[in-house]
Amino acid sequence: MAPTRYLDLQNLPDADVVRLAQRGREDAFRELVRRYERPIFSLIYRMVRDRETSEDLAQDTFIKVLNHIDRYRPEFRLSSWLFKIANNVAIDHLRKRQIATISIDGSPHAATAAEVEATSFDVRARQESALEEMEARELGGSIERAIADLRPEYRSCIMLRHVEGRSYEEIATILDLPLGTVKTYIHRARHQLREALGDARE
Amino acid sequence: MEHRHLLPDEIDLLVDGEEGFGVAPLVAHVGQCRACRAELEAQQRLVSQLEQLPHHAPAPLFAYGVMSKVRVFEPWHVAALNTVQRLVPQSRPARAAAAVMATSMSVLLTLGTIWMATRINGVVVLAAVALERARSAGLQVVSGFVETTLGQSGISTLPGSGPAGVTVAASLLLVAILGAAFGIRQLAAVSRRRRM
Repeated sequence: MAPTRYLDLQNLPDADVVRLAQRGREDAFRELVRRYERPIFSLIYRMVRDRETSEDLAQDTFIKVLNHIDRYRPEFRLSSWLFKIANNVAIDHLRKRQIATISIDGSPHAATAAEVEATSFDVRARQESALEEMEARELGGSIERAIADLRPEYRSCIMLRHVEGRSYEEIATILDLPLGTVKTYIHRARHQLREALGDARE
Repeated sequence: MEHRHLLPDEIDLLVDGEEGFGVAPLVAHVGQCRACRAELEAQQRLVSQLEQLPHHAPAPLFAYGVMSKVRVFEPWHVAALNTVQRLVPQSRPARAAAAVMATSMSVLLTLGTIWMATRINGVVVLAAVALERARSAGLQVVSGFVETTLGQSGISTLPGSGPAGVTVAASLLLVAILGAAFGIRQLAAVSRRRRM
C-alpha cells in the first residue's frame, strides 16, 4: 500500500480505508462514516419513520461497527456488515415499540368508567412540531407512505434491492434469509406497492 | 412457449434484467402479448420510482456524534512506527543533512571503538576503578539506610546474631519496603478515585 500520510481517502476502496482505520487513523474512521451515513440513515429512517430515533439508531450502528473494526475480514463487504447491523437495530426498535404500544381503548384491567378514561390514550390531532413537519415532507409522498405500510421484512428487502442496489445474494447475506425467501419478499413487496399506488393488474 | 400469460416469477426475471437460456422466450412473448407487456412496464415503472428515492441526510453533526463515542485505537507497533517516521525530516535538503550527520556520527563511533580496542588494557583499568567507586558509593547508601532503619544498636547486634538473624532482619526489611510501596500505591489509587 502507498505511503499513508496524505492519502486521498475518498478514492480508496472500502477495504483499504478499513485497513487504515485498523491502524488507528482517525481520518479513516471519519471517511467510513462520511461514505455510509446517508444510506444507513435512509434505510433506518424508512424503517422506523422517526428522524430523531433514526439518528440515534444510525449512530449506534456506526459505533458498533467502528468499535469492532478489528474484527472486519476483507473477504466480506463492509457495506453488507453495516446494513446488517442497521437492519437489526431497526427491527429491534420496531419490536420494542410494538411491545410498548399502549391500548387506545384503556387498560383491559380497568373496572369502572373512570378507570377506563384514566388509562385510555387521546389520539386527537395535535399541532405538528417542526421535526414532524419535516418528517411529513420527507416521507409524505405516496410511494413513501406505501413503503411504510409494508411489513418490516418486505421493507428491508425492497429498500436494499432498489434503493441501495444490492443483489439478491447480498440481501440474503445481510438479512440472514434464504435466497428464495428474499425473492418472495421482494415480489410480494412490489405487488403490495403496486396495489397501494393503484397500478396493479386485475 | 405455450399460450399463457407470464407468471410473476417470469415477469421478475425480466424486471431484474436477467439474461440466460430461459429469458429469450419470455422476451419474445412480451413482444406479442399486450397484457404481459403492460404488466412488465408497470413493474418497471415501480422499480424506477423506487430507484429514484433519495438518500435522506442525517443532522449535520451526525458524524461528530459518532466519532465522540468511537474508540480510535492505534496498535502499539503502528504507534512505534509512526514515532520513528515523525523523526524523519520531510524535505529533501533536511533529509540529506540528517543523513550526513548520521553518517559522520557512525564514522566517529566506529573510530572511537577501534581506538578503545587498541588500548584495551587502559580501558579495563578505568572500568575497574569506576566499578569499585560505584560499589563503595552503593555500600555507603545501603549501610546509611540500614543504620537509619535499625539504629546503631541494631547494627552492632546484627553481626552477632549469625546468618539466621541477618536473614530474618533482611526479610523484615524487605517486607517493610514492599509494604510501604503497596501502601503508597493504594493511597494514590484512592486519591485518583476521589478526584474522578
